[in-house]
Amino acid sequence: MTDLVREQSSPTLVRHPTSGVSHGVGAGMQPWRTYLTPALFVAPGFLIYTVFVLCPMVQAVLMSVFDYKVVAGAVSTFIGATNYIRAFHDEHLWLSLSNSGIYMLFTVPPQIALGLGVALLLQHKSPAQPFFRVLYYLPVVTSWVVVTLLFKYLFADRGLINYLLGLQVSWLSDRWTAMVAICALGVWKGIGWSMMIFIAALQGVPNSLIEAAKIDGAGPWQRFWSVTIPAIWPTMAFITIMLVIGGLNVFTSVQAMTDGAPGGSTDVVLTYMYRTTFSFLDFGYGSTIAVLLTLLVFALSAIQLRVFRNEATA
Amino acid sequence: MSKRVSPADALRLVTLAIGALVMITPFLYMVSTSFKAQQYVLKIPPQFIPDPATLSNYERVLVRGDFGQYFLNSLFVAVTATAIAVLLSAMMAYGFARYRFPGREWLFRILLLGLMIPALMLIVPQFVLAKWLGLIDTLWGLIVFYVAGNLALNTFLLRGFFQALPQELDDAMQIDGANAWRRFIGLALPLARPALATATIFTFLATWDEYAWALTSITSPENKTLPIAVALLQGPRGTQWGLVFAASIIAILPVIAVFLIFQRHFVQGLTAGAVKG
Amino acid sequence: MKFPTTRRGALLSMVAGAAVMLALPALAQDVTITFWGSYGNGGNSTQQDALNNTLIPAFEAAHPGIKVQYVDVPYDSLLQKLTTSAAGGELPDLVRADLGWVPQFAKLGVLVPLSDAMADFQELADKTYPGVLATNLYKGKYYGLPLDTNTRVLVTSQEALDAAGLSAPPATFDELKASAGKLKEAGISVFADGGLGAWNIMPWIWSGGGDITDPELTKSTGYLDSAQNVATIQMLVDLYNAGQIPNLIIGNQGATGTSDGLPSAEYANIFDGPWMAGIWKDQYPDFTPIYASVPAGPGGSVSVVGGEDIVVTASSPNQEAALEFVRFTQSELFQVEMVKTGQMTVLPAYAEQQNAIAPFYATFAEQLKTAKNRLAISSASKVDGILNTELTAAFKGEVSVQDALTKAAGQIDALLAEENS
Repeated sequence: MTDLVREQSSPTLVRHPTSGVSHGVGAGMQPWRTYLTPALFVAPGFLIYTVFVLCPMVQAVLMSVFDYKVVAGAVSTFIGATNYIRAFHDEHLWLSLSNSGIYMLFTVPPQIALGLGVALLLQHKSPAQPFFRVLYYLPVVTSWVVVTLLFKYLFADRGLINYLLGLQVSWLSDRWTAMVAICALGVWKGIGWSMMIFIAALQGVPNSLIEAAKIDGAGPWQRFWSVTIPAIWPTMAFITIMLVIGGLNVFTSVQAMTDGAPGGSTDVVLTYMYRTTFSFLDFGYGSTIAVLLTLLVFALSAIQLRVFRNEATA
Repeated sequence: MSKRVSPADALRLVTLAIGALVMITPFLYMVSTSFKAQQYVLKIPPQFIPDPATLSNYERVLVRGDFGQYFLNSLFVAVTATAIAVLLSAMMAYGFARYRFPGREWLFRILLLGLMIPALMLIVPQFVLAKWLGLIDTLWGLIVFYVAGNLALNTFLLRGFFQALPQELDDAMQIDGANAWRRFIGLALPLARPALATATIFTFLATWDEYAWALTSITSPENKTLPIAVALLQGPRGTQWGLVFAASIIAILPVIAVFLIFQRHFVQGLTAGAVKG
Repeated sequence: MKFPTTRRGALLSMVAGAAVMLALPALAQDVTITFWGSYGNGGNSTQQDALNNTLIPAFEAAHPGIKVQYVDVPYDSLLQKLTTSAAGGELPDLVRADLGWVPQFAKLGVLVPLSDAMADFQELADKTYPGVLATNLYKGKYYGLPLDTNTRVLVTSQEALDAAGLSAPPATFDELKASAGKLKEAGISVFADGGLGAWNIMPWIWSGGGDITDPELTKSTGYLDSAQNVATIQMLVDLYNAGQIPNLIIGNQGATGTSDGLPSAEYANIFDGPWMAGIWKDQYPDFTPIYASVPAGPGGSVSVVGGEDIVVTASSPNQEAALEFVRFTQSELFQVEMVKTGQMTVLPAYAEQQNAIAPFYATFAEQLKTAKNRLAISSASKVDGILNTELTAAFKGEVSVQDALTKAAGQIDALLAEENS
């Protein structure tokens, strides 16, 4: 997946002339001098990342091939792929994965569309602009516990949703209707996040291009598709990838809303992983689930980057 | 510019206002509940205007317990971690965006892996590591892991912005004799201000709200952060939601403050077009 | 942790965190034992205050040289913190553990078997309720002592009874079934509960004359899927299908909770613990709950034991001091003081005093005499998941009760086999 690196998420230009261009690499320079500067920029952060994230990550992967005994000093036996074989035969894992997938599919597009919509509406300078920005950002900062409690109210049997729609639905008593409530919460809470990044990206759309399009007689809709969208395309890639990662990693809202009820049917991968790890204390299998999810997310990110790059150059 | 509001602007404002109402209703409800006494909290249908209103929840949160101490702990941890994480990420992003070096692609891929693994799975190995380094139950133990945990996202976000910066300015400064560090500080950072502001806002929120690692690592009451203090207000048998909501509102204020301070940089950031023009 | 609590406003001194840690052994003149629990959760600090202001000072006065530091941990995350700390060898000396966790931690090998470590263990154990003591038993050894206890009894709404023209709470399964129709006419559910785990369903199963495994915990098939259990569960499923038990029981988080449905007479009967009294007093000051024994079936009236145990960790460097504190928790002072804050005593000897402090405890104390413990195996939390999943299917009518119980029994057999291997 070399495109992960080659494809850039530049927010301002479609074709970034600087991509991959190195500086100070004169023909006659010593290689070590050439690499010293980038090394000094990258090394401090990467060192911290390696020690505090990467090493624990390697250990988490190792846990998955052991019958891992969590207690300090206890001996864990190597069991190879046993946990992975178990995972492929674990129906509940597949159910959880399908729920995570459904959540991702139904929350990512609305978050992008609505986030971009709000960002566009907030583009015009006005005294109300910062005020609206704060209002739309509020759900992002409000704690999960609080908003989940509130969404439980909204979707309760005698809640506001049933009242407004004139329905008698037990939303949280069934897998599919409960997923509706969980997805609605996810979209609502996530709009402000994508809005923020879109706002930053829209600042970078060259005014000259928009003016040029205006002179060419392009209407607002045309300008949006032919100027704005291409200009923020890399940001689109960044947001989509991050939201897909986040969607498949959905946890807190599901745990607080249903925690899998009824009968485990609304479990997502991470609620299942959390229970396996910290309630059943099966650390080896919990790690296996985490590793499999990470691999899936990694593969999906690679595919998305390829798609976004092809679209951009098409 | 005309002072009159055009129909398009009016439509825009109305749309924004309706959307904003949907977005802030839960927040308003939280505010309202924080002013309710316990017996009015979970009434169905929900009561939006507290009647009778009371300040007792705020009083209890602020007077009892060491909420001030937790607040300061959180502030110290979040400010320090955000500053370090944003600086280190910006450096890394600049290095990845502006230079070609062997293993660059691999290093970046490895960094992105950090975005993808569920953080919960790292807690046990991280705890063992923290113990080995003597970082358990210290605020610096939180800061180090928060910095490490926020590097990947920020670097990914910022790298794109640095790549988009016009090459010409960079070249011009280099001809003037500015070294790499001065070009980074004097040119790249100011030009990437909208992105840096976004990264700062996100990182501050993430570190301010972090619960799982803080809970695992911190035990001494004097080292507790706000999320732990708020979680302690919830009980397995009955939660005083008025207290939880009052505490949550106090806890949200700094996040909103950070947002207000940094969001100004969105507009002030120079657009690429402007620089070129 | 072993940090002294006196460092207030210690923001800057955190920089020296590592140095402080190294300097600690020099400071430790007295022995300090740490004790983790969830006494102060939920914004009500009466229990934590009693511990910190009355009980611990009394213990320290009686045991010069021993200091006790209590740390309050959010209940929902206590298990996570405990396991992670076990991985780092950072467990406290004492833990107030949910009784279901004791076999789990005993299996991990992080607990001291008190029945081996305390010469006077039997003497202390004999004084407690047998069902409560049993929660500490794992593979023939006791790993803790009961700290506080509770059980579920039938709680009834007078308003609901009046609405249906009933005079008293149902004393038997038959009376329950008979009252369901009248209550339905008044628009009231006869019974409501918030799940189908062991805590919820075992009072029915035991009272119906059944059990979940054999007494030796080797086999569930032949026990959980017995004719008695099929009859008991079928009774509940029939009530559910007739709309007389709400779908809260299959985990509908949107249904009115039992704590709100009972006072508002939406539900006539629920099973609940002694802690609800205080909550209702706050939220529904006009509501007076009626407490009665769990309705009796062919097996009598048998409820389920809840509560917490106190355990000592194997890594504790101050084991003797910790054991001394365990003894203190069994004292009259400790038990009666905690009764005043809403905890039930684990010692029948203080039941009289308890009833004098709060008369409604009497029904609970009576029920506790026969109350039983859930499966004392390390994978008990998995049993809850199995029961919930399989029984939900039966309630929804996707499978028959017999098939659901057979399937659940098969899965529990596998857990038991793993446990005994």
